[in-house]
Amino acid sequence: MLGGIYALISIGLTLIFGIMRVVNFAHGEFLMLGMYLAFWAFFLFTADPYFVVLVAMPLFFVVGLVVYGLVMRGVIHASHNVQIFTTVGLSTVLQNIALVAWSGDFRYVRPWHLSTVLRAGSTIFNLTQVVASLIAITLTLALVAFMKWTHAGRVMRATAQDRDAATLMGIDTDRVYRLTFAIGIAAVGAAGVLVAPLYSVYPTAGLQFVLLSYVVVVLGGLGDMLGAMIGSLIVAAVEVAGSYVFGVAWKEIFYFLLFILVLVFRPAGLFGQRGAETLGV
Amino acid sequence: MSARAPILELDRVTKRFGGLTAVSSASFTVRAGEILGIIGPNGAGKTTLFNVISGYYRPESGRVLFAGQDVTGQPPHSICRLGLTRTFQLVKPFGNLSVIDNVMIGALTRLPTVSSARMEAERVVEMCGLAAHAGGHARTLPIGLRKRLEVARALATRPRLLLLDEVMAGLNPTELAGIIELIRRLHADGLTLIVIEHIMAAMMRLAQRIVVLHHGEVIAEGAPAAITQDRRVVDAYLGEEFVLAQA
Amino acid sequence: MTGLLRARRGAVVLFGLAALVPIVVRDAYFLDSLVLILLWGALSAAWNVAGGYAGQVSIGHASFFGIGAYSAALMVTRFGRGPWLGMLVGVVISIGAGFVIGFLSNRLKGPYFALSTIAFSQVLLIGVSRWRGFTAGAEGIPVPFRPGFATLGLSHVGWVYMALAAALVCYAVEVYLERSRVGYQLAGVREDEDAAEALGIPTRRLKVGAVTFSAALTSVCGSLWAQYIGFVDPTYVFSVDLSVRFALNTIIGGMGTALGPFLGSILITSLETYLRATFAGVKAGFTGIYLIVYGTALILVVRFVPEGLAGIATRLRMKRAHA
Repeated sequence: MLGGIYALISIGLTLIFGIMRVVNFAHGEFLMLGMYLAFWAFFLFTADPYFVVLVAMPLFFVVGLVVYGLVMRGVIHASHNVQIFTTVGLSTVLQNIALVAWSGDFRYVRPWHLSTVLRAGSTIFNLTQVVASLIAITLTLALVAFMKWTHAGRVMRATAQDRDAATLMGIDTDRVYRLTFAIGIAAVGAAGVLVAPLYSVYPTAGLQFVLLSYVVVVLGGLGDMLGAMIGSLIVAAVEVAGSYVFGVAWKEIFYFLLFILVLVFRPAGLFGQRGAETLGV
Repeated sequence: MSARAPILELDRVTKRFGGLTAVSSASFTVRAGEILGIIGPNGAGKTTLFNVISGYYRPESGRVLFAGQDVTGQPPHSICRLGLTRTFQLVKPFGNLSVIDNVMIGALTRLPTVSSARMEAERVVEMCGLAAHAGGHARTLPIGLRKRLEVARALATRPRLLLLDEVMAGLNPTELAGIIELIRRLHADGLTLIVIEHIMAAMMRLAQRIVVLHHGEVIAEGAPAAITQDRRVVDAYLGEEFVLAQA
Repeated sequence: MTGLLRARRGAVVLFGLAALVPIVVRDAYFLDSLVLILLWGALSAAWNVAGGYAGQVSIGHASFFGIGAYSAALMVTRFGRGPWLGMLVGVVISIGAGFVIGFLSNRLKGPYFALSTIAFSQVLLIGVSRWRGFTAGAEGIPVPFRPGFATLGLSHVGWVYMALAAALVCYAVEVYLERSRVGYQLAGVREDEDAAEALGIPTRRLKVGAVTFSAALTSVCGSLWAQYIGFVDPTYVFSVDLSVRFALNTIIGGMGTALGPFLGSILITSLETYLRATFAGVKAGFTGIYLIVYGTALILVVRFVPEGLAGIATRLRMKRAHA
């Protein structure tokens, strides 16, 4: 069920990596900001997260554009180390802006549909989960459609496959990167809004998701959107199975271990090219 | 080891990448003290062959024997210690280190102390004509000198067999002459060399024997004169114009 | 020896000053800052062994720090033995963990490796937080203070010299890596692994060795820190923030230079102490301020001043030499 939301989070990440070749360590922080957006909208205006999502997408798109211009553009062609520390630094900055501005207290978003329960066989869902997943899946599919059928999407995919060739064909790679990053951030910001009622909201809430989404992305093969979607389902399934067997408290350990295992044994993902991760992306 | 004993033997080496067979049942020998040339169109599998020989790839089948010892699948650093060193087609200098440090790192494989390695490095740098640039950072060197550095660094490891991968590509005529002269000198000093090149004029002058690769297979092997007249080689790689020019 | 000392003027001055300060200054607050500067410097130098010298950038070194801290704390509180034994145990465990991370470094490159180190530290964090029976879980472990060297119950002055000793050991390791055969080979590995392999350097072995050694040093400092601060909290000692801190000091000071981590530590730790004192009265939210500053500093330094403070110093020195 949560697979849909994981997909939305991960798709942005896989796009950013696939096209820009940058591992965005700050991805979880944008999710966290989305969660806070949902919280404040709910707290101040009693706005339901599902409507806030509509606002969140363009808002985070702009945020993505700004962050790209300020921070990311300068390091696209820099060494891995520079990129790592730039996004790690960004992650620290965002986390602590949240901490300073809104304190470390756990916040909660409790819309009416959280308590509405649905049954499917022996499993219990609440309405929030269902609608959130549906919206997430819709957005994810929309994004996939965008990438597949629009001109912009094709241009982006071309840049992902061969940066130099794209430049030679007259593609403005800077604009591609800017668009990619903005879309990626919009996606994860929206995911944050959707997810807010289901988890507690606090400054470091992003961390658990970012590692999870990396598991998804690595499983599906970095840059592979379909892989990200399938990966999300797998991870969600594993998580549910894991919490059954080991109890909820240990499920986080479970997917970190899964992450390390995937990285060690099948780093290019289930669908990716073997050896891709050592070829120095 | 007698002068004409095989220093390298490839026995039906096959390397596959998924569905693609890059090298197919390649077999040939290299005799101690000779210069062997390897030619073939792009994608023929030449660099892949070097990668297998030097230990970067493990072949699906076949063996690599260096000085009689089976080194198939051994890691590159072990093979280097046994006396086989390779250079890279796209040169890989240690950019942030000085030229002398680059070569010194090669020398440290044979010498136990930094000071002795530095002296050896100075000697090799002198021999390769890099003395004027010894103190500069490797990344500041133009391509011609980078190629020299690549060779110098490999030489510092005191190889018995040196694999040069397209060391002449991208050089202007002066640099080219210089590299050919260097290779000649090294050969005269007793070094065995395998040289991958596209510049046929140079290859003809240097190589005593040539192996021709095409689609991963050895399609011809022999003296340069014989190779250029081999129909298959002309069709696959050299082209009619080359034959006419030689005539 | 004198040649070495002259070449390392900066270090002689800094460490010499640190040694002399406790003789002159008795203010507990000042000495406390000095201990922290030295400990953070040592930790960053330990990180530098793996990150700067071997080129294996980890954002999970808190794993080893936490192992060291917990080993010392648990040895004292649970087993009733001394912290030195705990430190030893911590080193052994950290070496084991170092092998795991080292193995990962041979399978993964750059950002992938960094990610895996984060995952590793989080696994430890969660594991330790939940293992109430053994580690007192998320509540943390208060470490009792018992005066004496064997129990690492030292005075402020004693701690300054203890921290200085740790700093000097880590510094010496760095200097060794700049001058020795192993160090040069490691530089080759750092610059271009494939080329280094072709030259006969056992790159995998060296990388694992560097990471493991770095882990051991970090663990020792973690044990010392636990005894000094007196409280071990899992959400802190295994945190990503902490891992970033080690890297931050080194990057600002100059990655891959011996004195860099200490220069970075002086700047960052002083800044932190200052900010903490200034905002002491204001509500707790302001503890995030210096992290915002650090994060921004990291982004700016890594892009515009990649050689760090040490690099700037070298550039100035060369300018003066050519003037």
